[in-house]
Amino acid sequence: MLYRLPLLLAGLLWAVPALTCAATPPTPSVEDEGLYMFVRLNSPDQMAAFYEARGFPLNAIERLRRTCFVMAHVENRGAKIIWLELKNWHFLTRQGEVRRLDRDYWDGVWNKIGLPQASRSTFGWTQLPEERDLQPGEPVGGNVILPATEEPFTLQADFLTGKDRRGGMIRARFENLRCAKDQVAP
Amino acid sequence: MNPRLFLLLCCLVLTGPAWPVDTPSLPPGVMAVEGTPAPTLRLNSLNGEPYDLAGSRGHWVFVHFWASWCGPCKREMPAIQRMINRLHTRRIEFVMVNTAETEDEVFTFLATVAPDVTPLMDTQGLTTERWQPRGLPATFLVDPQGRIRYQALGGREWDTPPYLDFLRHLASDTAPQSSQSSR
Repeated sequence: MLYRLPLLLAGLLWAVPALTCAATPPTPSVEDEGLYMFVRLNSPDQMAAFYEARGFPLNAIERLRRTCFVMAHVENRGAKIIWLELKNWHFLTRQGEVRRLDRDYWDGVWNKIGLPQASRSTFGWTQLPEERDLQPGEPVGGNVILPATEEPFTLQADFLTGKDRRGGMIRARFENLRCAKDQVAP
Repeated sequence: MNPRLFLLLCCLVLTGPAWPVDTPSLPPGVMAVEGTPAPTLRLNSLNGEPYDLAGSRGHWVFVHFWASWCGPCKREMPAIQRMINRLHTRRIEFVMVNTAETEDEVFTFLATVAPDVTPLMDTQGLTTERWQPRGLPATFLVDPQGRIRYQALGGREWDTPPYLDFLRHLASDTAPQSSQSSR
């Protein structure tokens, strides 16, 4: 466990420096066949603090507050290419699959409210890429955004491997995840 | 002499070694790429001085994209500063591009981690988009002909021997330049 600590801290630092003052919930992780992955669910207050500090306008922050932020860190610790493809990630509840709010969705929102280009760029770099051929030793981190839900959900993330995607599949499952809520002052 | 051995020796002499001569091994996390022409990079520095990559033909250019909110960027920047100091070469140009932040944010950040670096300001983030890095931080090595030849994956320990040796090798493969810059 100790060897994971620096990576865990690095991931948290990468994602949201503003989180350092917040309480730290458990961070589930998976390590299998060269894939290392952990997820963390960030509360609306935490995400708002991050984007506010980067000059995002209030109407953008309001939109982001209504969602559920899943921060994911994925790292290829093996010898063959691992394909991160968000189309192969599924967020499952008892009622069925929750569709993530993808880049096209956010482009529509940002167009509607006229988000400045600099903020759009920063927002884009804080999201996980839709697709990435993770080379040996390569990490990637970022957010996946879901509509806010009270229900627990499972993240099932499938990764194809090998240059031509024919090297087999690795499945990572994170069960009983819950969207993080803001802490209520006593 | 055995005729077969003689023939083999002749072949070796005529063809030369089958491996590249004096090719440095790639340090961890550095990937060779196909050599596509580098996209346009024309920005002003934090000090307001204009810069155009097109004017940097004839030597290697280390092009680095970063933002102050990204943890790996924060850890990597001091290593880059030390690397520039240790290489002490005029044969590689170091171009540091900040992605979509304000002058205040950049100034505050660099003052604590790399005070000697004067970055270029991609205030709208559009130049970064054009270069299509795999994430932030990202580093490209552009050859003296203006082609991208190497890309580093994520943050790297640039001030350690594998990276310094690699960059020294690149520096030896170029003509001396009149000025060094770390912007």
